[in-house]
Amino acid sequence: MISLSSDSSPSTSPSPSASISSEDHDGPPSPMANAPSSLTSSLSPPGLSTFHADLATSPITGGFASQMYLTPSAFTSPMRTQSVGSKYLRHQSSSVDEDAVHDALSPTHVSPAQLYSTESGRLFHAGKICIVLVGLPARGKTHLAVSLTRYLRWLGVKTHAFHLGDYRRVHIAPGTDVPDDYFLVNASPSTVILRQRVMAACKADVYRFFEEDRGQVAIYDAVNPTSAGRRVLVKEFSQRGIQTLFIESICDRPEIIEANVRSVKISSPDYIGWNEKEAIKHYLKRISDKIPHYETLDEPEFSYIKLYNAGERILLNNSRMGYLPNRIVFYLMNLHIKSGCVYFARAGRSTEQMPRYKSDPHLSDEGRTYARILTDTLLEHRRSEHTARRTHGDNSPERELIVWTSTRRRTVETSAEFEKRGFSCRQRPQLSQMHPGSCDGLSWQELEKQFPEEVEVHKKDPYRHRFPRAESYHDLAVRLEPVILEMERIPNDILIIAHVSVLRVLYGYLMACSPFDIPALDFERNEIVEIIPSAYNNKVKRIKIYGVEESETL
Amino acid sequence: MGGYSFQPENVQICVIMVGLPARGKSLIAQKIVRYLTWLSIRAKCFNVGNYRRLETAHPTAEFFDVNNPEGERLRKMAAESAIRDMFRWFDHELGVVGILDATNTTKSRRNWILELCRKRNVEPMFVESWCDDEELIMQNIMDVKTTSPDYIGQDPEKAALDFRNRIRNYEKVYETISERDLTYVKLINVGSQVIINRIQSYLESRIVYYLMNLHIKPRCIWLSRHGESAFNLTGKIGGDSDLSARGREYARQLPQLVKMSVGDRPLTVWTSTLKRTQQTAKYLPYRQLTWKALDELDAGQCDGLTYEEIESRYPDDFAARDENKYEYRYPGGESYRDVVVRLEPIIMELERQENIMIVTHQAVLRCIYAYFMNVSQDQSPWMEVPLHTLIKLEPKAYSTDVIRIKADIPAVSTYREKGQSAKIKK
Repeated sequence: MISLSSDSSPSTSPSPSASISSEDHDGPPSPMANAPSSLTSSLSPPGLSTFHADLATSPITGGFASQMYLTPSAFTSPMRTQSVGSKYLRHQSSSVDEDAVHDALSPTHVSPAQLYSTESGRLFHAGKICIVLVGLPARGKTHLAVSLTRYLRWLGVKTHAFHLGDYRRVHIAPGTDVPDDYFLVNASPSTVILRQRVMAACKADVYRFFEEDRGQVAIYDAVNPTSAGRRVLVKEFSQRGIQTLFIESICDRPEIIEANVRSVKISSPDYIGWNEKEAIKHYLKRISDKIPHYETLDEPEFSYIKLYNAGERILLNNSRMGYLPNRIVFYLMNLHIKSGCVYFARAGRSTEQMPRYKSDPHLSDEGRTYARILTDTLLEHRRSEHTARRTHGDNSPERELIVWTSTRRRTVETSAEFEKRGFSCRQRPQLSQMHPGSCDGLSWQELEKQFPEEVEVHKKDPYRHRFPRAESYHDLAVRLEPVILEMERIPNDILIIAHVSVLRVLYGYLMACSPFDIPALDFERNEIVEIIPSAYNNKVKRIKIYGVEESETL
Repeated sequence: MGGYSFQPENVQICVIMVGLPARGKSLIAQKIVRYLTWLSIRAKCFNVGNYRRLETAHPTAEFFDVNNPEGERLRKMAAESAIRDMFRWFDHELGVVGILDATNTTKSRRNWILELCRKRNVEPMFVESWCDDEELIMQNIMDVKTTSPDYIGQDPEKAALDFRNRIRNYEKVYETISERDLTYVKLINVGSQVIINRIQSYLESRIVYYLMNLHIKPRCIWLSRHGESAFNLTGKIGGDSDLSARGREYARQLPQLVKMSVGDRPLTVWTSTLKRTQQTAKYLPYRQLTWKALDELDAGQCDGLTYEEIESRYPDDFAARDENKYEYRYPGGESYRDVVVRLEPIIMELERQENIMIVTHQAVLRCIYAYFMNVSQDQSPWMEVPLHTLIKLEPKAYSTDVIRIKADIPAVSTYREKGQSAKIKK
C-alpha cells in the first residue's frame, strides 16, 4: 500500500514529516506489560518498576553487539560500567528520569519523530555524514554536540556524538595525571604516540557506528585546529563513503568564554577536586597554548557552518547535503546556551467521567480547585528557588514565566488563575491532545471488545500504532516540532498545561527517551515536572502538589 | 502558525530587501508575502519601483546614475512615499511584516531606513540577494525585466542593453551589508552561501528558514482529489470510506493521465493516510509517501453526516459556518485555519522539492491551492475543486500557471454553495 524509499532511488530526497503505517515499522516489540485503562485520557502506564523489570528481558537490552563504543565517563552510575581495554560496555540509562542523549543507540533503534525506515536505516539519501566540530576549548562545542544529537535523533537521524576528551580520559591510567605536555603542540614523541592512540580509538568507534550500527550522523567533538588536519579527515572519511560537514564554534566575546569555562569546570571530570580560580586559570592557559596554532575554517570547497557567539551570526557554506544542513541551521538559529526551564502540568478534571474529545468538556469544580492549587504550588516553588539562589550568591534575575496551553477548554481553564495574576498565557492548537479517532470516550474494556485486533497490534507498538481515525504518538511528535523549536529559543521559563499524551512527547524530546519509553511515561496529577537544562544533560525534578489526590488516569 | 506564540499587537517587522537589479529581490519579496499571508500573518510588499513609475514611467539608464541630481531626487521621493505608506499600513491596518522592495544598495540609504524603523518601533530585518553568476543574472534580465512596465513597447534587445547599463550604475555605489549589529540574512548565489546575523525572534528564524529552502529550478506540482468515494455518493462528509466504482475507474486511468502531463520527469506522489487517497494512487508507478497532515479537515461531531443532517441537527453551527467558513471550527474538529497550520511543513517541503503529485481531499486541496495561487481566506473555502480532475501548477517568476485536466469519468459534485444543504448537481 505504501512504498518506502530505498537508498538506491535516484529522485528527490524523502520528505521529512511523512509518516509510516504501523505495518511497516521494524522495531522490536514494546516491553509494556499492562494495558492502558482508557485511550482518550492516558495510556495509563504500569508502575515504572514493572516496566523496568521488563527492561532486563526485553529485546532492547538483549542482543547487542559486544563491541560498543565509549560512553562519556562523566555519567557513571551504579548501573553503568565501563572498562578500559578493548571492550566497552553499552551505556544504558537506568531510568527515564535521566537524560538519555549520551546513550548509544541499538542497531534497530527507531526515533520518536522518525519519518520512516529505509533498508539501510539511513534517511535523506545523503548517506553517512560526519559532522566535525571545530573550535577552541570553551567555545560550547560539546554543548552543541549534545543539543544537535538530541535534535537530530528526534528527527529520526541516527546520531551519536564522539567526544575526543572522553577517549583521552580513558586512555590515561586511572589515578595518574595527563602528561604535562599533552596539550602542547611540540610534545615529546611518547606524548604524540599517546595522542595518536586516543584519536585512533575514537575514529575506530566512529567507523563502527557507521558500519555495524547503521549510524547516519556521527558528531566528532574535538578542537580540529589545523586546516591540514581537517583535510586529512575529509580524505579519510570520503574513502569510507562518509561526507563531512564542519561546524565551527567561534567566540570573540570574553564574557561568553569565561562563563563557559566556569560551567565546564563544574561538569568536567578533568577538574574534580580543583580550586575554582586555579581551574579557570589552567583551562585558559590550555586554550592560549593552542591559539597560535588555530586556523579558522576557510576552505571554500568544504561544506561548513560557522557559528559565532552561540548563534549571534551563522554562516553556511556550500551545503551540497541539502536538507540536513538547512535543518541544522534552523535549529541553531533558535538554540540558546542558557534556556529557561520547562514545567509540565496536567489539565484539571473535567465534567465528564470519561472525557470525550469531541465534546471538549469544561473543568469540573474539582478541576477548578486543582487549577488554583497548581498555580499556588508552582509560584511558591519558584519563589523558594529564587530565594535559595540568592542565598548562594547567585544574583541572576528571575526569568519570567509564560504559560502555554492547547485550545481545548480543560487546558485553557486550568491556566485561568495564572492569567488572572498577570502571567502571559498563550493557546496553541498544536498542543492539543492526541486525537483518539474512533476510540473517543471508550474505556479500555470497551476498546478490547470493539477493536480486539487493533489492541493486539497496539500492545506491540504503542508509539507508532494508530487506532482507527486516531493519531499515534509519532504523529504527535511530528506535529509538535514547531513547539519544540520555539521552546529552545525562548529564554523564559515555560509552563505547559496539556493532556498527558502531549506531555509525554515533549518530555521524550527533552530527555531523549526512546519510542518505547514515551507511551509509558508517568505524569501524575499531583506533580509538576520540572526540566532544568544544562550544557551536558537535562535534569528532572518532580514538585509535589499537596491537596490533590494521587489517583490518576483522567 | 495559528497558535503561534508571538503577540501580533507587539511585533512588527520590516523586511528590507537589498541587492542589485535582477537579483530576484521582488520574487523573494512576493514569496514571503504569499507564505506569511497564507499563515494568516498580515504581510505586504511595498515596491519602490512602482512608486517611482508614477512620476517617471520610462527612464533610461542615466536616470539611475548617482551623479544625476534630478534622478536622485525623484528616486529618493519614491522611497519616501513607499516607506510612508508602509508605516501607515503598520498603524492602521495592523500589519505585522512589511517588505520594502528596493535596491537599498548603499549604507547611507540603509541607515536612513533603519532610523525610521527604530523611531517607529518596527524591527528591521535586511534580506540581501547577492549574485555574481552571469548566467543566472542574464536569465533574470530576459525573463522579467523586458516585460517590465519600464520597457513596454521597446525592442527586447535594446531593453536588455539599457537595463544592463542601469545595473552598472548601481554597481558603482553598491555596498554589500557588513554592519555587524544589524539583523540580516545574505543569500549568496541562490543559497550556495548563506549568512545569518542576529536573528531576534522565532518569526524571523521562520522567514529565514523559508528563504533557505527556496530554489529557482523549474518544476511542477500536480494536485488531485481522491476518486469518488462511497461517502461522496451518499453525500456524507468525512469518514474513511473506500472508492466507489467510478472512483476505482479514476484510479485506473490516473497513471495515463499523469504520464501524459509529466512525461519522463521524475515524480514523487504524496497521499494522506485515509484509504480513499491511497486507493486512488495505487496504480501510479512512482515513489509514494503518506502524510497524516494531508488528511481531510476533521469534522468532529459532524463526521459521517450529510449536510442536510448537519443543518437539521446543528442549525446554528450550519449558519455560522457559512458566515465565516475559514474560521469556523467544527465542534470537536478543525477549521480551515487549523488545516493551514498543520499543512505548513508540507508547504515547506514542497518548496524544497521538485516534481510532486499530491492526492488529497477537498479542504486540504483548497488550502494548498490557495498558497500557490494567493487566494484570499474568504474565497479559498468556497473554491470549486471537482472530483476526477488533475490540476497542474507551474510556479513562474511572478505568478503560477494553472492547467486543469479532467478525466472523462463522471462523478457526483461535492460542491455546496452558501446557504444550500442539498447537492447542486449530479
